[in-house]
Amino acid sequence: MTPRLLPWLLLAPALVALSLVFVLPIAWLFRISLNISEGSGAMVEAVALDSYATLFADDFTWALTANSFRLAATASTGAVLLGYPIALFLFRTRSRFRPLLAILAVAPLMVSGVARVVGWLVVLGDQGLVNAALIGLGLVERPVPLINNWDGVAIGLTESVMPYVILSLLAGFGRLDRSVEEAAATLGAPPWRVFLRITLPLSLPGVVLGWLIGFVLAMSAFVTPRLLGGGRVFVLATEIYDLALESVDWPAAAALAMYALALLLLVLAAYTALTRRIAH
Amino acid sequence: MRKLALASALAALSAGSAAAQPSGTMTLMAYSGIFQDNYTAVVIDPFKARHPGLEVTYFGPGTSSQMLGLLRSQRSSPQTDVVIMDTTTAAIACREGLVEKLTPAEMPVLDELVPLAREAGGECGPAVTFDHFVIVYDSTKVTPPPTSLKALWDERWRGRLSVSAPPNIQGLVLTAIVERMEGGDYRRGVDRAIARLRELAPLVQTFNPTPDGYSLILNDQVTFATGWNARAQLYHDQSNGRIGVMLPEEGTAFQINTINVVANGPNRAAARAFVSHALSAEAQAAFTDRMFYGPTNARAAPKPEALARTAVDPRYRDRVIPLDWNDIVRLRDAWNNRWRREVIAAGAR
Repeated sequence: MTPRLLPWLLLAPALVALSLVFVLPIAWLFRISLNISEGSGAMVEAVALDSYATLFADDFTWALTANSFRLAATASTGAVLLGYPIALFLFRTRSRFRPLLAILAVAPLMVSGVARVVGWLVVLGDQGLVNAALIGLGLVERPVPLINNWDGVAIGLTESVMPYVILSLLAGFGRLDRSVEEAAATLGAPPWRVFLRITLPLSLPGVVLGWLIGFVLAMSAFVTPRLLGGGRVFVLATEIYDLALESVDWPAAAALAMYALALLLLVLAAYTALTRRIAH
Repeated sequence: MRKLALASALAALSAGSAAAQPSGTMTLMAYSGIFQDNYTAVVIDPFKARHPGLEVTYFGPGTSSQMLGLLRSQRSSPQTDVVIMDTTTAAIACREGLVEKLTPAEMPVLDELVPLAREAGGECGPAVTFDHFVIVYDSTKVTPPPTSLKALWDERWRGRLSVSAPPNIQGLVLTAIVERMEGGDYRRGVDRAIARLRELAPLVQTFNPTPDGYSLILNDQVTFATGWNARAQLYHDQSNGRIGVMLPEEGTAFQINTINVVANGPNRAAARAFVSHALSAEAQAAFTDRMFYGPTNARAAPKPEALARTAVDPRYRDRVIPLDWNDIVRLRDAWNNRWRREVIAAGAR
């Protein structure tokens, strides 16, 4: 056995597993996207690009794309802004409760996504806790619409991706050296300047990674836009669901899924190129 | 003489096979939840009692389109014998050869069905239930009981309406009914319906009720919702009348479920026996009495009080808009686009 072959042999089990779990289903999905859907909804075996032609000729596809990008950017930015102080605290604290606090920060991951969304329906609904408090305090007369719209989806999605963002930030805080911050403080820099000139730049790789992970997760999220959107929030994931399970147009659903996958791969490629440029 | 002997032998064989009891295991794929509970109690259990050697497994994956997905994925090796699904989805299954064609010669009970039941299934399995579109409401808040769809267009109910929008078929049916309410006909266009629904949109809380309109009313999240009659009647009884059910005077339309024998299923004899039983006058009447689906067998004799709570009752028949579901499937994308761009866009919250 040549030494050049050995790494490939060692990698073989993982490559086979990846092929079975990821490549084959995606290849099957691509194959379906080449079929034709008749007017009756019946799927006809074919090798045609009709579904893609219809997809790209429809203005609604571009609206869905813009909606998905806007929602994913809002949720991941919100998650980074809210998660950053929590992650920094968890990274810095020497409290004996640190492990417990870390578990609490990622606890939402232990609950089903659907259950979390139902929780938000109870909290943010027209008769929910928030509106009851606002009306009780005399701040508003009518319930403020916090669900069944874009605001509700943005809130739910931010909460949904925040644990992942916190974990990414904690992983990215490795380069954060307390002695550099102390040196800046010794030289007279006030805390806000230490944060802006030392802490933030050193933690930036973690911030970018956390934002990216939040963006990718939010971009492909289905449960939150579907359940909290009230039928008013149209993104790529909800449209794929409608095409597959309401309109029963599998070729169109598969074509849209391939398009969404290509968009995510483009985002990841842009991230890789950007980080390489920064590294050099 | 030899021909006569052969004919006698064939007749005996045929009679023998007809009398043979189906046995083994049979799988029925249909809706889960309260449909499963009630269907099991009044249709499946009596069938099992008549065929002691046969075990019926009920599998409820959820929606008709999910059932179609399973049938497609199991095309080469079906695991299901009988499927009950919405007529639009069943038409796809029939067209793709996933379910068998049925004839009265093989299944005499087909001749007992009302014409609409046979039309709904085309060459494949016929209608097994007739349900219809209704408006459900919170009877503790809406008095006197409304009779017109126009009750929804009332500023008092701002933020208290739940309307299932297309591509959900409730939204498609609502579009056709509103078009008729405005003096039009959906086959010639739905401009009038879309204009009227645009006026309704700002009052709507959700166009995608979660989990469903009935639950939203019981949890005091909304006051009115679009719904289907059978479930609405059941929830009416279970909620001691809190869920009110209105069959709008402007009209309604049937939602039709068909029953089909899965092509190349593992237990074809049992499947055919079960379909015959499910379509029989006795089973049809029992399911109407239990769950208020309209019977599809013309000889079925459900209790008058149960029949009165379905659109099959003679008093309501003239309110039923004869929707051609093949037309609706073709129009679905266009209506869906108009709802998104013109109706839902006018109902921002």
